Amino acid sequence: MTIKNTQARWGWLSKVFHWATALLIFIQIPLGFYAESLRLSPLKIDVFIWHKSLGMLVLLLVIVRLLWRIKITIPIALATSRLEKLLASAAHGVLYLLMLALPLSGWITSAAANFPVKLFWLIPLPPIVGPDDGLKSIAAEVHEICVFVLIAILVVHIGAALRHHFMLGDSALKRMWF
Amino acid sequence: MVKTLIQVLLISLLASHASAEHVAGHLVQQPTEKWKANGAKSHLYFAPSFEELPINGAFKRFTVGVIADQKQPQSLNVQVQIASADLGSSDLNEAIQMVDWFDSETFAEASFASEDIAMGQAENQFIATGLLQLKGMKKTIEVPFSWQASNHNNISMVGELALGRHDFAIGTGEWASGDQIGLAVRVWFELVLEIADD
Ligand code: HEM
Ligand code: HEM
Repeated sequence: MTIKNTQARWGWLSKVFHWATALLIFIQIPLGFYAESLRLSPLKIDVFIWHKSLGMLVLLLVIVRLLWRIKITIPIALATSRLEKLLASAAHGVLYLLMLALPLSGWITSAAANFPVKLFWLIPLPPIVGPDDGLKSIAAEVHEICVFVLIAILVVHIGAALRHHFMLGDSALKRMWF
Repeated sequence: MVKTLIQVLLISLLASHASAEHVAGHLVQQPTEKWKANGAKSHLYFAPSFEELPINGAFKRFTVGVIADQKQPQSLNVQVQIASADLGSSDLNEAIQMVDWFDSETFAEASFASEDIAMGQAENQFIATGLLQLKGMKKTIEVPFSWQASNHNNISMVGELALGRHDFAIGTGEWASGDQIGLAVRVWFELVLEIADD
């Protein structure tokens, strides 16, 4: 298996990016809701440190992933129609946007609430904005809207992958897997 | 003989004159002045720490009274409205007023009253020792500060100290451990004093 993509297959680096991010996102969504549901306590704070740490890892991964993506070949879409092809690339585009917007809005929420963060209890996360109650509410709202858009698109995204694999019987899922 | 007698007389006269002057020096009091902090120009800051990172905050409402003679401050009195604590966001501000933390509903005011003010190491440096009352707890603390006339009418008073939050039952129960929220809280102030009218 090569590091680079071909017209037919994903290279291993793209696969690692995709599945590492997917795993983090599947942890992040329940973790975020859990953190929010807790009453103010040391536990809530620790759960939020996990949430913010893993979330910033997503941001780092997606930036490197996009830089990598610019440089390499993208496998040709396995769509059955032009509309499908358009929808798939639109969905992927929005997923990339959300992988940027979620950590950024979370970072702004946290900084505007004047809450210092040490990622993984080690690395101080510099405040991206100063304390600001108004901005904090807006960023938290954006974060939440992004979460629901993400969940909706992921339902379609995963549904499409399963459709390709089980109904169309093509290699869409296989070529993204190892 | 006469010479020595005159000498003795002269010496005792001089000596008695000198001691009279000495006594007078003690009797004549230095004029004292009452000073108070200008609320708009004075700041009382505090910074708890979270995972060893400071959260900078300030008490927005407090009063400071100082009695001083021309040489040095003689007494320092401070009252702080605890509900005015501001850590920069409504989330944090609500949290610190809870019962485990400041509990300002029960303990609205903190106060410091000096018992003694001593000269510090450097010029214009002083150390006030006195009782800090905070959240119903009392502890003798030292408040080091500089005291400098900034112009004819104002005195600038700047100082910094560290308080242990455990000494004042701030952050009790599940928050007692200093792992997340540090036990030491930095407190510092930049005051502009002016002559009190009353
Ligand atoms: C069980 C979950 C998932 C499955 C089965 C899955 C499946 C796939 C498959 C098969 C592809 C390749 C499409 C192609 O070859 O044309 C793909 C691409 C992609 N997936 Fe997923 N995915 C999952 C979760 C996620 C998650 C959680 C995200 C991000 C939030 C995500 C973001 C993307 C993106 C952005 C692409 C496009 C890659 C590119 O064009 O650079 N996926 N996914
Ligand atoms: C992949 C990235 C992320 C995902 C999927 C995600 C998901 C979530 C979810 C599901 C919630 C609960 C629902 C809500 O109120 O929005 C939440 C809340 C929150 N997240 Fe994230 N998050 C991500 C990254 C981050 C990052 C990087 C930070 C901060 C550095 C962060 C900070 C927060 C905060 C502060 C809240 C509470 C918002 C509030 O006060 O209403 N998140 N997140």
